[in-house]
Amino acid sequence: MLEQLMRSAEQAEVVRVHRESTSVVFEASRLKRSQVKETSGLAVRVVKGGRLGFAASSDTRATARLMRNVLESAEHGDAVTFSLPAPQEALDVVTFDESIAALSIGKLVEIGQEMLDLILAAEPGVNVEIELTRSTEHLALRNHSGTDIDFRRSPLSISVEVRWVKGDDVLITYDQTGTTVWDGQHMQSAERLCRKLELARNQARLRSGRMPVLFAPNGSLVLGLPVMLGLDGKDVLKRASPMAGNLGQKLFSDKLTFVDDPTIDGKFGSSPFDDEGVSHRRNVLIDQGILKGFLYDLKTASQAGVESTGNGSRTLFTPPSPQPTNLLIEPGTVLLTDMIASIDSGLWVEDALGLGQGNVISGAFSNSLSLAYKIEKGQLVGRVKDVSIAGNVYDLLRNVAAVSSETEWVHHSLRVPYIMLDSMNVVSQQ
Amino acid sequence: MREQIEAALRGSKAKYTEIRLEEREATTIVYRGHDLETASAVIDVGGIVRCLCDEGGWGESTFNECDHLAAKVEQAYESARVVHSGECVELAPVPAARDNITVSLQRDFRGVPLDAKKTLLRQYNITMLESDARVVDTNAVYQDSFSHVTLASSEGAYIEEERPMVGLLLMAVARKGDDVQTAWESRAGQSGFGFVEGRGDLAVSAAGRAVDLLTAETVVGGRYPVVIDPALAGVFIHEAFGHLSESDFVYENPKAQEMMVLGRRFGGELLTVFDDGSLSGLRGTHKYDDEGTPTRRSDLIRDGILVGRLHSRETAAKMREQPTGNARATSYRYAPIVRMTNTAIDGGTTSFDEMISGIKLGVYACKAFGGQTELENFSFSSAYAYMIRDGQVAEMVKDVILAGNLFTTLKSIDAIGDDFTWSHAGGRCGKGQGGLPVTFGAPHIRIQDVIIGGR
Repeated sequence: MLEQLMRSAEQAEVVRVHRESTSVVFEASRLKRSQVKETSGLAVRVVKGGRLGFAASSDTRATARLMRNVLESAEHGDAVTFSLPAPQEALDVVTFDESIAALSIGKLVEIGQEMLDLILAAEPGVNVEIELTRSTEHLALRNHSGTDIDFRRSPLSISVEVRWVKGDDVLITYDQTGTTVWDGQHMQSAERLCRKLELARNQARLRSGRMPVLFAPNGSLVLGLPVMLGLDGKDVLKRASPMAGNLGQKLFSDKLTFVDDPTIDGKFGSSPFDDEGVSHRRNVLIDQGILKGFLYDLKTASQAGVESTGNGSRTLFTPPSPQPTNLLIEPGTVLLTDMIASIDSGLWVEDALGLGQGNVISGAFSNSLSLAYKIEKGQLVGRVKDVSIAGNVYDLLRNVAAVSSETEWVHHSLRVPYIMLDSMNVVSQQ
Repeated sequence: MREQIEAALRGSKAKYTEIRLEEREATTIVYRGHDLETASAVIDVGGIVRCLCDEGGWGESTFNECDHLAAKVEQAYESARVVHSGECVELAPVPAARDNITVSLQRDFRGVPLDAKKTLLRQYNITMLESDARVVDTNAVYQDSFSHVTLASSEGAYIEEERPMVGLLLMAVARKGDDVQTAWESRAGQSGFGFVEGRGDLAVSAAGRAVDLLTAETVVGGRYPVVIDPALAGVFIHEAFGHLSESDFVYENPKAQEMMVLGRRFGGELLTVFDDGSLSGLRGTHKYDDEGTPTRRSDLIRDGILVGRLHSRETAAKMREQPTGNARATSYRYAPIVRMTNTAIDGGTTSFDEMISGIKLGVYACKAFGGQTELENFSFSSAYAYMIRDGQVAEMVKDVILAGNLFTTLKSIDAIGDDFTWSHAGGRCGKGQGGLPVTFGAPHIRIQDVIIGGR
């Protein structure tokens, strides 16, 4: 196909994906569904007459139509100046583990059952939903300058949802883990949920006001998401990100360092190359509060006059755009136990509702908390309800009281510590 | 293909087998600022087989390659056999429908050249960019999609349906110093190209509002009487209540069933809420759901009392109620689950002026950026809002996020407007399967004692 396209275009790229997976689903605490999936697709880009075209198809036999579509797309495409990459050296990033690829449905059922047993032992009255999926993915990319990439991934993804309904009182909480290399951590989601259930057993009352707030790794996405969006090279280019034009400036507390790292073996966001064939590398985005760089793909990088940072990410039906890979907020120096002990009267944020709603690109967030605990005299004393927090990360993160030395992987590809802010306005309905 | 499908069904060893195939072509055009991000077409073809066995749960096989259906049926059957949990899944009976639903579109978008679509969108995009110097960025999206879906079952159902969809999303970003504000308008429907032509007014509105928000103050957080506009009221009823009516929440959970017991009072006598997947001209409408059950109007709350819920065949059987035609799947990549279609708060009798006249200090919240629910807790953000002072709509405010407890909030609705309208905005409901077209309808609503997050 590449050859045929190169007869009419100056540049061409063909990506082929193939994925087979098996899943088991437990609902209402019992085995409910089992699925087998086999999907594949082709996505094509060309630059013809200096204009970029894109087309994709999940029907891998419809190559004639696919090529017609991509050439038509290029006729109407925007002029671009970037070049698809020539073959590059890349780090040896481990993304495939035969033992995951070979996991049987029976073994998935066994793990699911073990998780279920653990959670129901901790709290017999809950309704548990578990989904376990193992897959083998085969990704291949070739372009006109000889780049020829071919690698496999073996994602194992485990997600759990627990629903606890006592009269009108409802707690829903989730956890998920993902890995492409067997790491023996498959019980982690269940263990974390058990801890949450234990802490949520007691209720506590909280009054509105300003107080120290401790964001657990799960909850710190409230703070992290606006920052991640602001680092997107596309939003920077369009001056929609408040960080545009501020490279080299100290925008946040020196306790904060944000890194994008697609080279960590076995993690979901890891691979040797990005989705355009640019080799992956570790990018420091914010270093001790100072803005060092943004995330770019080929197109946005060329528009910004810089090199791609290797963050070109795509799905089958969408062309590449800048996305984080594995996003890490670096650990600090304070032990979590010391952080908790230092709080006389404050709030622990575990899960927030409505993440990403509102004008998040501006840094503003406002979220009610689906799971939060009161901290009193250095102890977690119980779950608080009907509490919400709001603020703007460009104000709040200038002064961070403490960052923990402990970190956790959450939401598949975020590695985050516990973050404590000295004083935040908390609104409570009580 | 029909031969193959029916032969595969006949050869299945499962108690119940269902095959759903889909062929889709879609065009997407996106402008970001002055740049065209893409003007491209995708082809998506695939299917899903679902099987139920005598002693267990669902087995599914999803695929792109639609040849060898018999082998896919075998795979789904084997998967079903893995799932034995002692309790059998039953399906509420529905008549096995045989139907062929075609559409005839005025100005069928399949016949409109890519260039014309691009030109239309570019015009709207430029309208936004040139409306004000403070508009620094835009996101303009045109999408059309045409699917041919075939559903067949071992019970003898055979339904073919053509599904068109066309839509526009116009978003403007305005900036003043470090303050960045966004506003958008959208329109989508199961229609032809004409549905999105001549809508420069949407571009003007989006750009104008983004600029207005630059001078709006952030609302002071607190408790207020709130009037919400039909667009926001629609999102509210979908998020805060609609999801609780989806029976996959309650059907396996005895405690949740206690919460959602029919006959329980949820609101005042003025409140009626329904879902109707059979109304013509609305985005969530189809003649049958994705299990072949005919769609219809389902009353959920009538005169304040919980009277019904939404079902798939499985949840209906489990709860010994009637199937309602609400089993929907986003695409062949997913099994159908209980989803809303077109959900609404029925109109009342209070005029907008009457509604605000008694309010000394309150908020008039409009349109939604989106919403999320976790059962009794909901959160949704309004795209823009105004203070209400001494019975009048006053200055614009921003960052208005309404959150609360469903039970107390529904009971706090004390006025329902006489201006019911269905939304024709684009907007999809995500529920673990990505976005499914839905729509909402409502009049203006007044709610007492709402917590608004803000400064």
